[in-house]
Amino acid sequence: MALELNKLTQQVDALGANAAQRLAELSERLPAAHAMLNAIGVADDELHRKVLTALTFRWAGAIPTAEAINAAFPLPAHPARANVAAADGSQIYPDRHGVALYYLVNVGSIVFRHGLAQAPGTRSQPEVFYEDADLYEEDGGQIPSVKIDAERDLRELAELARLAQAEASSAPTVTLLDNGLLLYFSLQTQDQKLIEAVLRDYLSQLDHLKQSGAAVAGVVDRPRAASVIRLLHLATLEPEEITDAGLRDLGSFRHMTDAMLFDFLKPGQRSALFVNASPANQIYYKPRDHTIYFFYLNAGRPGKDALLRIEVPEWVAKDKAKLDLAHAAVVEQCRVSDGFPYVLMRAHELAVVTMSERREFDQMVIGALIRRGLSPSISQKAQGKTWTGAGKRRYK
Amino acid sequence: MADTATIGRLLRSSTAGYVFGCSVPEPEVPLFGAFVKAPAQRGQTEVIGLIYDITIEDDPFVRQMVATPDLPEAYVEDQRVNRQVPIEVSVLAVGYRDGGGFQQALPPQPPITLDRISQCSPAEVLEFTSRFDFLRLILDSPDAPADELIAVSLRHAADLRPPEDRTFFLREAGKELARLLNRDLARLENLLRRIRP
Repeated sequence: MALELNKLTQQVDALGANAAQRLAELSERLPAAHAMLNAIGVADDELHRKVLTALTFRWAGAIPTAEAINAAFPLPAHPARANVAAADGSQIYPDRHGVALYYLVNVGSIVFRHGLAQAPGTRSQPEVFYEDADLYEEDGGQIPSVKIDAERDLRELAELARLAQAEASSAPTVTLLDNGLLLYFSLQTQDQKLIEAVLRDYLSQLDHLKQSGAAVAGVVDRPRAASVIRLLHLATLEPEEITDAGLRDLGSFRHMTDAMLFDFLKPGQRSALFVNASPANQIYYKPRDHTIYFFYLNAGRPGKDALLRIEVPEWVAKDKAKLDLAHAAVVEQCRVSDGFPYVLMRAHELAVVTMSERREFDQMVIGALIRRGLSPSISQKAQGKTWTGAGKRRYK
Repeated sequence: MADTATIGRLLRSSTAGYVFGCSVPEPEVPLFGAFVKAPAQRGQTEVIGLIYDITIEDDPFVRQMVATPDLPEAYVEDQRVNRQVPIEVSVLAVGYRDGGGFQQALPPQPPITLDRISQCSPAEVLEFTSRFDFLRLILDSPDAPADELIAVSLRHAADLRPPEDRTFFLREAGKELARLLNRDLARLENLLRRIRP
């Protein structure tokens, strides 16, 4: 065993104490945040003016809509018949110590036909990439993992668009993704050309989804965002205090999250809708009529809350039937799997590449190489890891 | 060798028996006490066995769903049809068939992974049960519920015979059991009661 746990006992104890202390300290400040949320209610012109100013500083807060920001909306009725589709992806990154250089993307999807007593349709679509053009950048460097993540995200959304087009005519249809709709990858790279190319394709898929008549929603479990917290902080600032530094220092709201703030939502209830103020939303999504909105949703049950952040494009947020369907379908799906949509759990199961599958795939690759007269081998470093990875042997 | 429909594929095996997996069971297959067969030695032999245990495994996902009130049927169908948690069927080897016909002894080699398992045809069951040496293999099994398995498999074999032959068949089987269990009369009596014509 390389990790000598006995050397960590004191540190782990301190970690526990620290977490408890932080929670106690945040709990003391929470009532003031709730009071602020209730005091604002429906955002007035003054707050909207402050938001406009903040947006000029690339502010990552929540833009209020016409709904009171402290509102709790009850669970709408679920249609007797509806389709709920989900897609999820996984990948094998290129491994220069492996038997061959390749990467793999696998997308799993499921269509759950609520109201019909039939097994859902499922699909798993893997693809392996091995050409030089797939693996290398123009400067000769290996493809960065962020690009593979973007490829996977694109395929997930394309799969949802395909399913939406096939299913939406039969019943009200909602499609779910296991992450936000604002591509996180745009924050991970400085490559503007790449960001624009990926977002162009991504937004085209959102176009297809919109045309299909289906709704789409991104589901974020255990959200850590503090967008609405930032809005509360903004509301406390005087106009002249709205600066980079003023927006960054959250003062008494420091380290609080939206999830703490919306702890008053009862099972089934959703919060008000907000617009995500992220620059990517304003620059790329908004001009294509896909401005991303979000709300918080307690998809738990009495005695066990499960707060999710649900992201929807403008054309879902402003269409009551679609919004209600997304709201009701997520809650119904969570009822079976205790706090996270069933279809997303299944889509993950259909997409995930397990360690044993990875080993079997490597064996397939080795076989293909041997048939072509090659002598594949992993690097000595990788070999060493297989020798030592099982842990030290001990004398008994 | 007769070809019948596949009811599952082999998961693991030994000369004493094998375990095969199948998806959702049909009402008639697999059944406890049924005669099944699996190829071995690259098709040179067929291992004849009796199903003695059918196990449906759970997993944490299914455990979670068990507690859901008013579980819609589509979720149930998804778990049964799409997730294909294998149903494990344990088989006790009671003989094999080679070029010389049926032998009521342990096979020379077990079937191997993913071999197709099929139900024995009525004609095969009739021919195999024309002798009773296989009853000792069942009685000696450390895993199978021997008495229950003997009673069900003999009843099944009797039902495949013309009505006028059934009593004779069960009496002959009873005589063999009396020879094998002459030191355990209580057990013998119980078994004979179960197969009484």
